[in-house]
Amino acid sequence: MAFLEIRDLVSGYGEVQILWGASLSLEKGKLTTLVGSNGVGKTTLLRTVMGILKPWQGSVTFQGRDITRLSPHARANAGLVLVPEGRQLFTDMTVYENLEMGAFSRRAHAAMKANLDKVFTMFPRLAERQNQKAGSMSGGEQQMLAVARGLMAEPEILFIDELSLGLSPILALSLFESLGTLKELGITMLLVEQNVTMALAVSDYAYVLAEGKVHLEGPARELMKNDEIRRTYLGI
Amino acid sequence: MLDQVLSSLSDGIVLGFVYGLAAMGLSLIWGVMTVINLAHGPVIALGMFGTYLFFTQAGMNPYLAILLVAVLGLLFGFVMYGVAVHRVLNAPHLSTLLATFAINMILIGIGTAVFSTSPHNVDFSMGSLDAGPITIPLTRLIAALGAVLVTVFLYSFLYFTRPGKAIRAVANNREAAELMGIPSAAVLALSFGLGTMLAAVAGGLIATFFPFTILSGGPYELKSFVICVLGGLGNPLGALLGGLILGGLEGLVPAFMPVSWVPVVEFGLFVLVLVVRPTGLFGAK
Repeated sequence: MAFLEIRDLVSGYGEVQILWGASLSLEKGKLTTLVGSNGVGKTTLLRTVMGILKPWQGSVTFQGRDITRLSPHARANAGLVLVPEGRQLFTDMTVYENLEMGAFSRRAHAAMKANLDKVFTMFPRLAERQNQKAGSMSGGEQQMLAVARGLMAEPEILFIDELSLGLSPILALSLFESLGTLKELGITMLLVEQNVTMALAVSDYAYVLAEGKVHLEGPARELMKNDEIRRTYLGI
Repeated sequence: MLDQVLSSLSDGIVLGFVYGLAAMGLSLIWGVMTVINLAHGPVIALGMFGTYLFFTQAGMNPYLAILLVAVLGLLFGFVMYGVAVHRVLNAPHLSTLLATFAINMILIGIGTAVFSTSPHNVDFSMGSLDAGPITIPLTRLIAALGAVLVTVFLYSFLYFTRPGKAIRAVANNREAAELMGIPSAAVLALSFGLGTMLAAVAGGLIATFFPFTILSGGPYELKSFVICVLGGLGNPLGALLGGLILGGLEGLVPAFMPVSWVPVVEFGLFVLVLVVRPTGLFGAK
């Protein structure tokens, strides 16, 4: 039984169907990457798995429990946490308050102190800026905060939508390295990433999404050798 | 002349605290869910009548009555939110305007049927405070003090407690709040309840010194709009300061021109601030 089982998911916005039956499964403790060109439905998939978008068909099962109809906040309480595209920080609140809100669920609140220490060790920059308004920080710092806020929620599964978007290569690299640390902590992750080379390099398993469906899948190392992947996404 | 100005100004400023309190309710609801609550006026009037009923029917001290009115106001806000606001929240603004306007009409209709439109009053006096030319009835002074207390309470709630911070988080980014495990619908209902509570308490305090009808909330609702624009929406301290400015103006204007000019000056200022500084005098957003 997979840790998270996404089966034949169909969804979209209004009349526009984006997902045409996507099926993925995540293994506990593994880092999985979802690759695909712009507009194939990666973000839509994450938003549907989190319950922001209602699925038209299909199911999402977490630890054997059907969560297809749960509200987003109930899923967050169950341990599914999304670091959304474009960060979606509480820009008018301080860095500290953002982290506090990350730990809002009862489960996460109990572990808040330990998790604060953890994220401040991982991102010392945030410790320095605790009392600054989140919206007044640089893009890189905001991305750190978005990841840190996600970690404060005590995720069982962390979904990260475009970790490196708009960041300098050096900053992106250091954030990718922190993913390794998270894996050691036993957090299951699903990464949506436009920087396919970097993503595949750190991942265990990967899915390629095309036209709203899984087009290819396999261990990340094998996909890196696949000719189609190399041509289409790696530009080699 | 100076004595007259001083006396009128102090009157206005003391009232201004209560105006600020009324405006805070409108401002909170707007700040959290961008809903203009057109039922604000009747809720103020209900606060007046609630206090009146507890005072006349149960022989209760008016200030104790206001505490009860606060609790009832909170609950009434939950109901209003659940019945009329929640399901149109994501619809265009016109829908929430119409929904709250409908509540406004229903409350006024019921209020008129039950209480008629002849004035009622809470027959209660505590004497007054004299300082030279300034005479302030104690009921008004207590009302001003009450307004300050409620402001401090609201500010502390929003900035130092978990549910308060959750309100600010939902106001700031509802979807992100939901993703962090914050039940946004419950938080919105709480905000609407608090906004309603503030209006009802303001009404209760006003009832201790002015006669009122079910329509009496209307002028305070209008003043609340002016104050929100002055103080910047969604900011409790701004609302209080805006209330003081408006109260001060109401005190000063009649010393120099006929009272009928007061609304002209008030709404002239309203338009001026909107044109020159649409974020409000103290607003950051």
